Amino acid sequence: MNLTLTVNGAEHSLDVPANTLLVELLRTRLRLTGTHVGCDTSQCGACTVHLDGCAVKACTVLAAQAQGRSVTTIEGIGRPNGTRNGSPDDLHPMQAAFRDCHALQCGFCTPGMILRAMELVESGGTLDNRTVREGLEGNICRCAGYHNIVKAVLAAGDAMQEQSR
Amino acid sequence: MSTETGIGAAVKRREDLRFITGRGNYTDDLNVPGQTCGVFLRSPYARAKIGAIDATDALQVEGALAVFTGRDTATDGLGDLPCGWLVKSKDGSDMAAAPHPPLAVSQVNYVGEPYGLVVAESLAAAREAAELVAADFEELTPVVATAEAAEASPIHEGLKDNLAYDWELGDEAATDSALATAAHVTRLDLTNNRLIPNAMEPRAALATFDPASGNYELRTTSQNPHLERLVLSAFVRIAPEHKLRVVAPDVGGGFGSKIFVYAEETVVTWAAAKVGRPIKWTAERSEAFLADAHGRDHVTHAELGLDGAGRFTALKARTTANLGAYLSTFGSAVPTYLYGTLLAGQYKTPNIHVQTHGVYTNTAPVDAYRGAGRPEATFVVERIVEAAARETGRDPVELRRLNMIEPDDFPYETPVALVYDTGNYQASLDKALHLADYAGFKQRRAASETRGKRRGIGFSCYIEACGLAPSQLAIQLGAGVGLYESGEVRVNPTGSVTVFTGSHSHGQGHETTFAQVVSDKLGVPFDDVEVVHGDTGRVEFGLGTYGSRSLAVGGSALISASEKIIAKGTRIAAHMMQTEPTNVAFEEGAFISGNQRLTLQEVAFASYVPADYPPDLEPGLSEKAFYDPENFTYPAGAHIAEVEVDEATGVVQLVNFVAVDDFGHIINPMIVDGQVHGGLAQGAGQALLEHGIYDANGQLTTGSYMDYCMPRADDVPDFVVDTTVTPCTHNPLGVKGCGEAGAIGSPAAIINAVTDALGTEDIAMPATPEQVWRKLSGL
Amino acid sequence: MEQSGEHLIPVERATVWRSLNDPVVLARCISGCQSMEQLADDRFAATVKARVGPVRATFEVALTLTDIHPPESYVLQVEVKGKAAGFGKGLAEVALAEAEDGTTLLRYSVAGRVGGKLAQIGARLIDSAARKMADDFFSALHEALDPAADRQQSANPS
Ligand code: FES
Ligand code: FES
Repeated sequence: MNLTLTVNGAEHSLDVPANTLLVELLRTRLRLTGTHVGCDTSQCGACTVHLDGCAVKACTVLAAQAQGRSVTTIEGIGRPNGTRNGSPDDLHPMQAAFRDCHALQCGFCTPGMILRAMELVESGGTLDNRTVREGLEGNICRCAGYHNIVKAVLAAGDAMQEQSR
Repeated sequence: MSTETGIGAAVKRREDLRFITGRGNYTDDLNVPGQTCGVFLRSPYARAKIGAIDATDALQVEGALAVFTGRDTATDGLGDLPCGWLVKSKDGSDMAAAPHPPLAVSQVNYVGEPYGLVVAESLAAAREAAELVAADFEELTPVVATAEAAEASPIHEGLKDNLAYDWELGDEAATDSALATAAHVTRLDLTNNRLIPNAMEPRAALATFDPASGNYELRTTSQNPHLERLVLSAFVRIAPEHKLRVVAPDVGGGFGSKIFVYAEETVVTWAAAKVGRPIKWTAERSEAFLADAHGRDHVTHAELGLDGAGRFTALKARTTANLGAYLSTFGSAVPTYLYGTLLAGQYKTPNIHVQTHGVYTNTAPVDAYRGAGRPEATFVVERIVEAAARETGRDPVELRRLNMIEPDDFPYETPVALVYDTGNYQASLDKALHLADYAGFKQRRAASETRGKRRGIGFSCYIEACGLAPSQLAIQLGAGVGLYESGEVRVNPTGSVTVFTGSHSHGQGHETTFAQVVSDKLGVPFDDVEVVHGDTGRVEFGLGTYGSRSLAVGGSALISASEKIIAKGTRIAAHMMQTEPTNVAFEEGAFISGNQRLTLQEVAFASYVPADYPPDLEPGLSEKAFYDPENFTYPAGAHIAEVEVDEATGVVQLVNFVAVDDFGHIINPMIVDGQVHGGLAQGAGQALLEHGIYDANGQLTTGSYMDYCMPRADDVPDFVVDTTVTPCTHNPLGVKGCGEAGAIGSPAAIINAVTDALGTEDIAMPATPEQVWRKLSGL
Repeated sequence: MEQSGEHLIPVERATVWRSLNDPVVLARCISGCQSMEQLADDRFAATVKARVGPVRATFEVALTLTDIHPPESYVLQVEVKGKAAGFGKGLAEVALAEAEDGTTLLRYSVAGRVGGKLAQIGARLIDSAARKMADDFFSALHEALDPAADRQQSANPS
């Protein structure tokens, strides 16, 4: 089937088998390998991306469901021009907070964590240790023990609010 | 050296930039031209004879390229997957090692064991073709339960029973007689639950073969690519080492499970030459559950003798360790040398005897998982000490204190073959008690009660042994490899530094820490030091990362190499300054003699452009070192857990956790805290949530995240972590290793808290709501 | 996995017995059944598309009848193969008793086990899936045999 969608601001028109999963499209067709696959039962959150601003698990979404919609992956959340130069100045506050708080070790869960955490902050609810922990319940990290991830999300929450003010 | 980036500084990790922007390079992210996809055929039976395998239909699938079975690998002369540690039984006989072909040939012995590989143009085609392979199996009765395996009929043809070895350590007669005369004996039966490691990145392999050169290249999820290459060359005989390059790119966590040499990367590498195209295989999570080496799975009976004053007189442990269907790479060593030797814990128990029966069952192989043997030992020691305190009406803290090795007892020789070099167990315990506000516990317990919750507190004063050493001793004890590490420090002509290490980082942050070490030692800016690891094509040799050894062993090798750089630099500088080397001092990146000063950069340049150069010296400024530690390092610490048990539901909430660890000197405290947090969450997972369960037919019933309960963000609290320092006495950095401590100390602390809350010793891991609720209901 | 149950079927025993030996009726009553072939008097082979939780596959089913006591009872040996999806094995004891007004009471008990992916991912769901399949089977059988069922259904098109 023919599919038109926007990924990280760029429009793509491609021909894909109808049963293609969004995560496959991103990883194998568009070579956006920052979105990871950590399970086959939609329970780890490693594949989390934004679909029209909402965090979704890209392993449970058909590419076809993204028809005409906008997808944002970890590669697309930096400041304008992305992080092409790898400069820390280009990072999204959530990315920066993950680094500052040492909220990642192997980094495999990190893109999904960051995208889920951004949505958590952007959704505007109360942010405290408990709500962040509950909010991240769908994302597994095996390395970091969550402690610093929670710290990072709270720190980024402050920074993001500051920014939008 | 600048304190912002040197030893002891919480330097932000340089590897993070690529991970937080999605630019990591994990194995499955890599693609090469002409690549094909592999899917493994896996046994649905726990034990069965393999009959005819018919691939006719499978090969009709469009895009299907080949189907290989164990008969093909056997015909081609592929060797078995070896176990790298030969353990001897107490009668002196070698362990009974069952042959472990990469693909099962005549019999499958666990659910998920690979018996074939399907290669196709696409993953979809490979999966479709795999569906169409018709294999006949004749089912046999499996042996599953750990405790009963030794008596059951042998699962492997040619072995007389399921006992791989009957190993012992310590003085049995002395232990028995001390127990017989003890004023009190505490007895405990303990199970250390089977765990499934679950690094978030599933294992993967991408193998290429170049027929023109005969070179193989394997990119794979490995914690130790050099060991992988050694085994694939010397034992499996795929290609000689100079024809095989193994690269472990970014690796998404390992926790032990990626140390081992597995069937999959072996077969994929071999098959790449057969098919004449690169092959990529990436495990699905379901495959990871079935075929990654599992951890723990011990059943133990332990007895602790005390005299009238509460002093420990003897400890005896009888352990049956489930090794799974085959001996995995280090599977034999885990429940023996990494377990029995740690049973002294932090205490002066004079008599200790341990016996381990390693048994075969029709389950996935069991091998090292974060802590490897040491969590099992800590669980035995710290559970039985806590139980003894309760039985004899003593405060568990005071009983521990009474029996602890004192700071001036070091070096302390235990009755189970180790010599602890240094430590101060009282200091970490005191600090932990303070941080946990032990004094205020009674009040907190009362407050919980008013909310219908039972509160409990539990302690665990663990010891671990890291950086297995020295090589000579390990080899005498059966290790198949040395346990040194190699490193190379190369000062480039313009003074920047490239560091090559045989350690591998898969989350630990070596690229940062090792750069800190070398930049500090050589006085070059942190940003001028690059760390290269994980590639047999670039790094000479290495034994990889496991057992919290990287810094203590790998870091020490870099110190030795740096010292050689300084020594050679001193001679060059002396020549340039027209003085004797003995007159030259090296300080903060410069060679100094009187009022003359040459920077390392200047000396490096002179070494590569040797215009004015000592005639007896070779040009260049690059040095290698192999560091072989003279002893283990012994991190230790005190962990205190507090739990609340909901009387109505049986739910155990971990409400407070304090860990005070002694890791010796610390290079990067931020990274160390992170390592502890991660270990604690895994320990909490073992104590409260995780359990790999096989049913009586050998089917894994906890084979997905629906049934295998991983710790999630809301299952654990914020952790309070702190350190005390007694520097390791025998490595140049004074470091001990921090990777496993969290997972070693915490399960016992948490279960001690749960049993405290419930007033019974009879709680098994994991303390699930169902189990706890049954206990509360008297069922 | 073990389960049992009983169903009252409003036709006489001989008819029920015949249906339980008739591949056409069996095929109609097994949901997802794509083919049913009688290989011998006491052996059938079927392909069935089924789903247990997230495991979805086409299964090859071999049915063997043993301990046949017409028109009262038989034991059904079931072997299910789903390739990558795993396998299942079971024994079903089926007994028919004459009940009031020419109706028939069917009792069954099944004991079985599953392996491979079915056990790994579907273990928790297998009981409910098996119960549903049994329920579907008997209500379909009921429908197939009960002359009143047709009318009822057309009256209640839900
Ligand atoms: S890969 Fe999508 S949730 Fe695990
Ligand atoms: S950082 Fe490794 S899984 Fe989260």
